[in-house]
Amino acid sequence: MHPFDIKTVVFAKHAQHVVLIHFPIALFIIGVLFDFLAQWKKQRLLAAAAYYNMLVAAIATIPVVVTGILAWQWELEGQKLKGILLMHLVMGCLSSLLICTVWFIHMRTRRKQEEILPGYRLPIEAVAVVIVALTGHLGGFLSGVNGPG
Amino acid sequence: MSRSVSVVILAAVLTIGFVGTIEGRRGFALSAQEKMSTMEVKIDNFSFGPVTLTVPVGTMVTWTNRDDIPHTVVSTDDSKTFKSKVLDTDEKFSFTFSKAGTYPYFCSIHPKMTGKVIVQ
Repeated sequence: MHPFDIKTVVFAKHAQHVVLIHFPIALFIIGVLFDFLAQWKKQRLLAAAAYYNMLVAAIATIPVVVTGILAWQWELEGQKLKGILLMHLVMGCLSSLLICTVWFIHMRTRRKQEEILPGYRLPIEAVAVVIVALTGHLGGFLSGVNGPG
Repeated sequence: MSRSVSVVILAAVLTIGFVGTIEGRRGFALSAQEKMSTMEVKIDNFSFGPVTLTVPVGTMVTWTNRDDIPHTVVSTDDSKTFKSKVLDTDEKFSFTFSKAGTYPYFCSIHPKMTGKVIVQ
């Protein structure tokens, strides 16, 4: 196997999910951090940075969800999930939904050219960060990041 | 009359006793053979133990997941000779090897986890 061999990349099956997942997690958490800072410091630049982070995070959830479901279908032949795998699937879908919801709130405000973002987005963002972190923790546990696997 | 009945009863008792003894011996022999032909592979700490297992033809190998993480046991050949469902903690999967050969396998959730069964 060569790391830059196209076949290795394409046929890596669920290994792609493990790689791609880092993009929405990092972009969304940083986006939320920027948004909280923008709220605190009242800086438009930070709010813009938050928006673009969340936009790319929302886009990045698409291949992540697709590769995750493909991993389930290919590697486990779509068998009925239970335990940690089921929890990871449910929380992964919820995380993606929350990331897209948060981006949508920001996008709608920008489209309406409103100056102030709705205050209710902040608790949603906070909950979303917790759910994303828990999903990532379960994913790390499954992939054996904390062990020799 | 009573003598012939006694002979028939005696013959029946002897036959039942004889058959019972043979069946008992066969049962003992079978259970001993079954014990001989069952091997176990433990899944723990993201590895199969033993990694390579050598067994005679007809052996049933049982994999037991002693890990906190779900694992699978899937043969790497194209025809997927054996493939388990997802095994949660303490769940087992068994397969009987009826043909000689080398059977490499892996965990489809953690492809780094590999093992091999050599059937002689």
